[in-house]
Amino acid sequence: MFGGLRERLQAARARIGNSIQTAVVTSQEQGRTSASSVSQNPVLTEDQVPSPPVSSTTFAGKVKSFVIDRELIINEKEITDALFELEITLLESDVALPVTDAIIDNVKRHLIGKHRKIGQSVDALVVGTLKEALLDVLGNGFNLTDYIKTHEHPVKILFTGVNGTGKTTTIAKIGFLLKNQGFSVVIGAGDTYRAGAMEQIDIHAERIGIKIIQHQQGADPSAVLFDAIQYASSHKIDVVLADTAGRFHTKANLMNQLEKIRRVMKPDLIVYVDEAVAGNDAIVRAFEFEKTVGADAVILTKADMDSRGGTAISIAHTIGKPLMFLGTGQEYDDIIPFSPTQIVEELLGDS
Amino acid sequence: MDQRELLTLEHYLKEYGQQAEIFSSQLEFLENGRMEAHATIEALHGLLESDDGMVLFQIGAGASMKAKVLEPDKILLNIGSDVIVERSNKEAIEFLKDRITELEASQKKVAETLDRLRSQMNEIAKRIEQGYQQAVQAEHAVQPQPARINKDE
Repeated sequence: MFGGLRERLQAARARIGNSIQTAVVTSQEQGRTSASSVSQNPVLTEDQVPSPPVSSTTFAGKVKSFVIDRELIINEKEITDALFELEITLLESDVALPVTDAIIDNVKRHLIGKHRKIGQSVDALVVGTLKEALLDVLGNGFNLTDYIKTHEHPVKILFTGVNGTGKTTTIAKIGFLLKNQGFSVVIGAGDTYRAGAMEQIDIHAERIGIKIIQHQQGADPSAVLFDAIQYASSHKIDVVLADTAGRFHTKANLMNQLEKIRRVMKPDLIVYVDEAVAGNDAIVRAFEFEKTVGADAVILTKADMDSRGGTAISIAHTIGKPLMFLGTGQEYDDIIPFSPTQIVEELLGDS
Repeated sequence: MDQRELLTLEHYLKEYGQQAEIFSSQLEFLENGRMEAHATIEALHGLLESDDGMVLFQIGAGASMKAKVLEPDKILLNIGSDVIVERSNKEAIEFLKDRITELEASQKKVAETLDRLRSQMNEIAKRIEQGYQQAVQAEHAVQPQPARINKDE
């Protein structure tokens, strides 16, 4: 998953590391030169407390990076090129521009002006900074299991999104996951619009052994989902997973229908589903859906086919809602809860 | 195999068919992107080799006009996230080659999924066929045999 992004980030990590390492070497060499040739500048001992240079005419003022008591202060100029390359790397991986800016700002904030002991691992510093910057934009993720455990049952989850992104399959996968975790689940077949949609969800429900509530094709989806909730309440079911027809945010009538569903169903969670491979389009659509019907979390499908990874990196920061799951294949257990630390480790870790 | 089981298998087949359709169109989309990138690389090479930067500028409906590219070594390239940067002709070609590699990797993944789906569909289709044959045989077995007419009688 996200193999291309991992490769690029690893290259960026090496480039930033090299830039800092070069600065360290230059500082050390210049430090040695100054000690031998500039007799008026006393050599600082390790015990001496460093004081910042007061004038640019002094040796310390002239060098880009300077050594004070064996410390290096990382200067913006030294890593400008590497940061620019990181920026391009992120953009080429479909990371949205505001997210790229946030990552670069974060890296700058954490690296520039930082006192680093010479001898301390440059790579550890760079990796730590990049990880922190990525974690900052990825947010905290969303633990559905914890949410269900801590909220009144039935927990009603409404799934929205555009056509053909794998919404119905995702609902089946989540149903399967929750059932395996010991929750009782009912699915509301709210996609009464698309031919074959009801059959599709019916097959899934039968395969994973979950009760499904459905009406005739063309029926009012609000009524179907209302019935599903009634059934869940009367049978003490833990979770209602509400399917809806795929729609584009530009279709006013379908968006009004979704608004009606929301009024009638009063969902605890609205989950927006899109595909990771859609790149920037997915981010724009998620943003528009969030504006019109709202969203509490996002699921990205087909993450296994996305080597760039930009959508997964960008979506939480762009719409301000957490990423909940990543769909990674065709089987029912091909869904992984989104864990920012795990993803960052995969992207920047050594393994 | 009873009627209900046959019906379920038919539903499975239909569902897999719909999924396969989605992946097929995705594969087509990726292939179009790959071909487009190849064509662009060719055009960029052509521009570099051209002495006067003269090109045929297509204005639609099969109509073209001669146009001169003022700066054939300055390419404005959408690198992703709708961000456009200026690159040299060679850099643009390198970028597009990387994109092609990426697209081919994605194509491979999608094609693998599609193959898996198709083999599952074949399996289901076989079982449906067997089910039908069993049903037909069972029907024949319960039908009374027509009385044989003995010509000698």
